[in-house]
Amino acid sequence: MYRFLFFIASLFLTPAAWAQPVTFGASVQLTGPVANTGRYYKDAYEFAVEKINAAGGIKIGSVHQKIALKILDNQSDVNLSVRQYVQLLAQDKVNFLLGPFASNFVLADSSIAEKSRVPMVQGGGASDQIYSRGYQYIFGTLPAASNYFGSTIEAMTKLNPRPQTVALLYADDSFDVSVAKGTRELLNKAGLKTVIDERYSTNASDFSVLLSRIKSENADAVLVAGHETEILNFIRQAKSLDVSPKLYSFTVGVPSADFRHALGKDANGASGMTAWLPSATLKDQWFGDAEKFARAWKTKFAYEPDYHAASGVATVEALVNAIQAAGSTDPQKVRDALTKVSFDSLYGRVAFDDKGQISLPQIMVQIQNDDVVPIYAGKDFINKLQYPLAPWSKR
Amino acid sequence: MELLFQVLVSGLLLGGLYALMALWLALVWGVLNIVNLSHGALIMLGAYVTYFVVTGAYIDPFAALPIAAAVLFAIGYLIQRGVLNLVIHGPMFNTLLITFGIEVVLTYLTQLWFSADFRTINPGYAGSNYTVGGITIPYVQVLVFVIAIGLTVAMWLLLLHTRTGRGIRAAAQNLVAARLYGVSPKSVYALTFGLGAALAGVAGGLYGTVSQINPYIGGPLTAKSFVIAIIGGLDNPLWVIVGGLFLGIIESLTALYIGSTYRDVASFGILVLILIVRPSGLLGRTT
Amino acid sequence: MKSTAWGIVLAVIVALLAALPWIGNTVLVQFGINVLLLATLAQGWNIIGGYTGYPSFGNSVFYGLGAYGVAIAMVQYHLPFWVGMLLGLGLGVVFAGLLGLAVLRLKGHYFAICTLGLALVMTAIVSNLEIAGSNIGLVLPLLRSEVLFYELALGLLVLATLTIFWLSRSRFGLGLIAIRENEEGAAVMGVNTTLYKVLAFMLSAAFTALAGGIYAYYITFIDPVGVFDIGLNVKMIIMAVFGGPGSVLGPVAGAFILSTISEVLATKVTSIASMFFGIVIVIAVMFMPRGIAHLVQHIKRMGWGYFIDNVRTHRL
Repeated sequence: MYRFLFFIASLFLTPAAWAQPVTFGASVQLTGPVANTGRYYKDAYEFAVEKINAAGGIKIGSVHQKIALKILDNQSDVNLSVRQYVQLLAQDKVNFLLGPFASNFVLADSSIAEKSRVPMVQGGGASDQIYSRGYQYIFGTLPAASNYFGSTIEAMTKLNPRPQTVALLYADDSFDVSVAKGTRELLNKAGLKTVIDERYSTNASDFSVLLSRIKSENADAVLVAGHETEILNFIRQAKSLDVSPKLYSFTVGVPSADFRHALGKDANGASGMTAWLPSATLKDQWFGDAEKFARAWKTKFAYEPDYHAASGVATVEALVNAIQAAGSTDPQKVRDALTKVSFDSLYGRVAFDDKGQISLPQIMVQIQNDDVVPIYAGKDFINKLQYPLAPWSKR
Repeated sequence: MELLFQVLVSGLLLGGLYALMALWLALVWGVLNIVNLSHGALIMLGAYVTYFVVTGAYIDPFAALPIAAAVLFAIGYLIQRGVLNLVIHGPMFNTLLITFGIEVVLTYLTQLWFSADFRTINPGYAGSNYTVGGITIPYVQVLVFVIAIGLTVAMWLLLLHTRTGRGIRAAAQNLVAARLYGVSPKSVYALTFGLGAALAGVAGGLYGTVSQINPYIGGPLTAKSFVIAIIGGLDNPLWVIVGGLFLGIIESLTALYIGSTYRDVASFGILVLILIVRPSGLLGRTT
Repeated sequence: MKSTAWGIVLAVIVALLAALPWIGNTVLVQFGINVLLLATLAQGWNIIGGYTGYPSFGNSVFYGLGAYGVAIAMVQYHLPFWVGMLLGLGLGVVFAGLLGLAVLRLKGHYFAICTLGLALVMTAIVSNLEIAGSNIGLVLPLLRSEVLFYELALGLLVLATLTIFWLSRSRFGLGLIAIRENEEGAAVMGVNTTLYKVLAFMLSAAFTALAGGIYAYYITFIDPVGVFDIGLNVKMIIMAVFGGPGSVLGPVAGAFILSTISEVLATKVTSIASMFFGIVIVIAVMFMPRGIAHLVQHIKRMGWGYFIDNVRTHRL
């Protein structure tokens, strides 16, 4: 009898250790065509939550609360993803939302967060469309699409001999169209002549016509904004059609290990960009620094992390920081706190502008001898760029 | 001018592979009256089989093709005997739906077993090319073209001149009469589907050498194959070759003169127009 | 049961459904919106595929046109939602009329492939149209009212079902059935087959386009690949076929049952869900090709024999 009463009483005297965990929810592409990038986000969310919980969790006031994570597989289907976010909020009653991968998913899913007035911090979408809707509850850790080629174009103006003509190719999805729009302005400002400016269909597998045009116009530099599979095809077909511009740079693929693995030696010489490199100078409260993070990731997941992974971790950390700053899990207060966060992490400095987007410079990189080498960041060359690239037959 | 020729050559080479892919669709449709929506999925499986044989046994991709053909033949035979034979006399619409169901299941299983990571078949000589008169001709593409056309011609010869082929054509024209002559419908149907699947296997392997492999490449390939099958008509494999080459060239010219994003408008627009104007296909006999 | 009894039962069900936003929770409402829209699509397909016997793979074209009608009206011209709906409806019906004249001359497989081609062409064309936002799509204004969408979807489904009920008893509907069973015979008997077919196509398009319009405003973001999705068309067909093509309530039942199972799978055993529809079709086509409606009617008499009988009649 007394034990029973004691039990009931203890339920009312909830000690701090019994506090409800704060739940983060996300719908990620674990299966389906985009799954091979989607998995970076699932692993990132899980790893970050694991590390933060191990260090004691989130400190709200004087109470430490653990983070619980609920991840659903949207099978690379946008409509399912939207329904899953509704489910996460209404049925699983998560407190805050993390994002999916890819701008078109973020565009649809973020509307749910906005409608429900629950903050979503996403690390998978960078297109201008996401941030031009005036939404208040959406924050993103991928930097602006329009500036992706920023450091590359700056580097190009400093090369000797300077590239005279540029070919700009881009896929017709939201992110890449945003990239192209921004890149056009950057190219104009830099005084570089664009001889080909062409949009192609997403998932195109045949680039022979575009490559033949590049060859015929003798473009010095080729900039491609597209998806990994397209860029893979592009490079292979460039080789078989013997098209060797002096420089070529791609928005995705280059920093990712499986991309380099799929191309083997043919990947060498390709330039790209990343907002993140696993450098020891990026200090992090929970992981030590970016280099330690990269090593720990590789040990745990058996593949190397890239900026998708770091971006995913950054979103979790941003939420944690905001909750701690707000001292509560009230969505409105955390949302206001998110507008003001500013902290260092393994991803770099995390802070959001008035539209909710992070501002990070892209580092130009190049694959040299099967390794990703940082080439240009800020205002200087970090390493020497292999330029001009030798024709295929001589590599 | 040189650009135009280069584009035409590339279009032709692409068209040869397309033709091989479309062939199995045309075969199954023409002979068995089955519109096979699982078409692309079997091509995709062929690509995977080739990939695993190449990376597992370290043999040349072109040497791995017969293995892919054999494996896919078995899969096709089983599908026909086990599943399709059971619904073949129902409303034709049912075969359409059931093959779609098969496509979904196959794609999903592939993704489950092999993950969505993309793979490539990259033989050492993958990038080499010849240059003839200012036009670059990729070596692998030429091999693919030759094999594709060769197989198509072989299929035509088989249908016309061998006993098996005649059995298949008899079953296509008049099943009852064929039965009277000793043709066993179950076997013939399964054999036909199996042969078609074997072609798909080879087409998949070839596709893997010029593009990349993931569980979702099937869909667009099915769509393109329909266009070619309609252009070429369902009666004669040789016309399917013409259909494939035609499509390859049209797509490339559209990309060159109108814009890369208009390729699909051209190919599917042609499909719709041809069907509206001449349902039996551009080159087929009128039914 | 007599038809008045049926009528009362259905009216009660509809009333309950209408009250759902206040009885149930948000998840149910969201699920409800999806199921109701799918059921409407299945009913729309039922008109051209089930009653007239022309299996259309192009209904996703009308769905997309409805969605884009609303999106373009609201985003590019800042018109209110109902104007967008009218625009979408207009686009869908006009296209159906024009295309129908050209395409309904084809039979069987060819009709199916041609409409499939139409869906593919529309995707490609719209992804090149600036006014539709090209391939990056359009972002619609946000409306925080799930209840509105729910009731609209329910209202549309009721309208569609009542239309089919009227159809099943009208001369028009009997004409369509005649076309399905024996088109030449119907023509000989004086049915204006071309007119009837095109009207059926237009009616089918009307409901499909309206459903698309509601969807666009509800989801706030549409792009060509998402709304002209052939997978959606196949879903409509499966639901109609599973439920019973050519019946009044069959497609609704099919939509509700399949969606519920799929949703439960997607949340509990996520991985199997994508294969689910594939397996359902294969089994349904093999063992119950006439749908649940037919099954329900005959299973009392035949028991398990029903399934075996189906296989026996259709196999080689």
